[in-house]
Amino acid sequence: MRELLIEPLARVEGEGGITVRIEGNTVKQVDFNILEGTRLVETLVVGKTPEEDVSIACRICAICTLSHRYAALRGLEKALGIQIPAKAHAMRSLMHTGEFLESNSLHVFLLALPDFLGYPSAVAMLDKHADDVVKGLALKKFGNKLMRLTSGRMIHGENPTIGGFGKYPDKQDLLDIQQEAKDLMTAAERAVQLVAGLDIPSYFEKETVFMCCDPGNSEFGIAGDRIAISDGKTVPVEEYRTLTNEVFSPHSAAKHCLYQGKPYTVGAIARMNNLGERLKGKSLRLFEKHWNKRWLKNPVYNNLAQAIELVWALEQVPAIVDSIFDHPEDPALVKPAKTEGEGVGAVEAPRGTLYHHYKIKDGLVAEANLIIPTGQSLEDIEKYMRIAVEELVKQNADDGTIRMQCEIIARAYDPCISCSTHMVNIERV
Amino acid sequence: MDSKTTEKKKQNVGLYGFTGCNGDQLVIVHSEDQLLDFFGSANIKSFSLAKSDNDETELDIAVIEGSISNEEQAEHVKHIRKRSKLLVAIGNCACFGGIQAMDVKPSWETRFKRVYAENKLELRKPTPSKPVGEIVKVDFCVPGCPIDADQFFFVFGQLLLGNQPVLPDYPVCAECRWRENECLLLKGIFCVGPLTAAGCGAVCPYHNLPCLGCWGPVAEGNVDSHVQLLKEKGFTVEAIRRRLGMHTGTGISESLKKLLGA
Repeated sequence: MRELLIEPLARVEGEGGITVRIEGNTVKQVDFNILEGTRLVETLVVGKTPEEDVSIACRICAICTLSHRYAALRGLEKALGIQIPAKAHAMRSLMHTGEFLESNSLHVFLLALPDFLGYPSAVAMLDKHADDVVKGLALKKFGNKLMRLTSGRMIHGENPTIGGFGKYPDKQDLLDIQQEAKDLMTAAERAVQLVAGLDIPSYFEKETVFMCCDPGNSEFGIAGDRIAISDGKTVPVEEYRTLTNEVFSPHSAAKHCLYQGKPYTVGAIARMNNLGERLKGKSLRLFEKHWNKRWLKNPVYNNLAQAIELVWALEQVPAIVDSIFDHPEDPALVKPAKTEGEGVGAVEAPRGTLYHHYKIKDGLVAEANLIIPTGQSLEDIEKYMRIAVEELVKQNADDGTIRMQCEIIARAYDPCISCSTHMVNIERV
Repeated sequence: MDSKTTEKKKQNVGLYGFTGCNGDQLVIVHSEDQLLDFFGSANIKSFSLAKSDNDETELDIAVIEGSISNEEQAEHVKHIRKRSKLLVAIGNCACFGGIQAMDVKPSWETRFKRVYAENKLELRKPTPSKPVGEIVKVDFCVPGCPIDADQFFFVFGQLLLGNQPVLPDYPVCAECRWRENECLLLKGIFCVGPLTAAGCGAVCPYHNLPCLGCWGPVAEGNVDSHVQLLKEKGFTVEAIRRRLGMHTGTGISESLKKLLGA
């Protein structure tokens, strides 16, 4: 018996590992292990006010803190009958776009790229690739700046709250970021060029299903009230349970999700595959240049999809800032219209669709169900790793090659392991 | 100075993440202007969020994020303690147990079953979350949810130099006044400021929102008097218990039980 254990899996968020067992030429086991300690977050928010819920739920994850906050706000505000004003809506788009810049650049440059260039970390790449590392850090810094400006802090900022924002940014700060977004475009274009130049092997390719939020109006976007599926269906987010049946797996503190009994993939590659033709400007040109049918079968293209999203995100910033300027008056927080209700909020986190489902009674959270992106992609992560290992065993590959290929596949999904341990309500399927 | 002598002087440092959101390590990774200096200031032997060539060896300073939430983590942190001269807890999860150590009903066992039913996790043996200090000796705590980069680099730099760093021992209300914010308690808004350590710069009150206590409890905070004040303002015992316990983990849970009942 040949056993490969990768633990902890480095350069991912949270504590995870990979176990591979091979007997002779037969692959017995390929598991993506979720080792993160359990936090039981859905049970912590029960009995809390909606404002308190938002402060707790965002702390599930630091990389996608604002996606959690935004999904929670969307779900809770639906339940409470709150319609936020246009200026608050624009601010939420800005904060969410900032998080995509932060998270995608962190993943592309610091977490994924070192594997392809043969380094243990981005810092170790400095000698030979200083210019690219510096560009990546500049993009990440700008994403963090947007998050700080809109949410009050780089991580877990409390400014986006039920009914709007506690405070709106100064005009000069907004003008500055408008300019900075334009100045950084060459760095994002370089990211696309860099990732597009990497060699992606094809031997583990296989068709799968892709899902993402559909923002409507035939636009590309990262939040919406419908889910677009690559089989052509779109489904209202309220019916998310029909898409994300959760099953328990003993090697994982996170539950795995299946769509009609089959694994599926969420994240940047799903957004590009399902909505890429809706892009505009530079991001559309890059999508048309680089997209091909292998994207439907090979999750490692997620890295390139994230790089194209960096260009898309920078294109959005000036227009979002203009729409904030359309409303000079800072609106007050909108008060709840009711104290009982139910709501599902969905947004795209950088690594895929995130659902927050709440029931409110007497003004307090009575029930919460959260479905996390990495939990949804887990089955596919294992599927692609298994195909790769089976193929490599046939080729008599050594342990190092098998390990590296598994790591590249797992890491391409940009897994967020702290996130993935918070699912409640096992669905018997 | 030739590079070999510089190399010799560098201290061995390891950064580790246990149960939490990774936000404290991420604050370090997100300090773009200091990141390269940070990596240059010491031999960063282990930091699996940022690099894959990790070497589990003797350390001068171990930096720990996250609460201890299963038996394997407890063993791991004991092992790190054994091979480290100094152990620094960063962030509220490591310092006070974090949100997952919040005192809520029903019991942890019941809530665990609610989430996982009768299913068993094969690879880890989960336990209720505890601060690192309940498992091993902690030499220094850098609080915050998440930590503040400047505060962390100050502490880290002082420890590298062999100094004992000093962090604010006063409540965030002081910073709130320096920023000339209006006191939200005086307006009848529930604020946890008087019990919360300074360090964030009173960021929430600056945004017209009350302090939720995410910097953790200030040393020698007067819980009794703040509970009394909140009661006088008309807040219910339930609301007081909920809000004061939300971000304080095990920090003031005993005082709250004494004052408000179990």
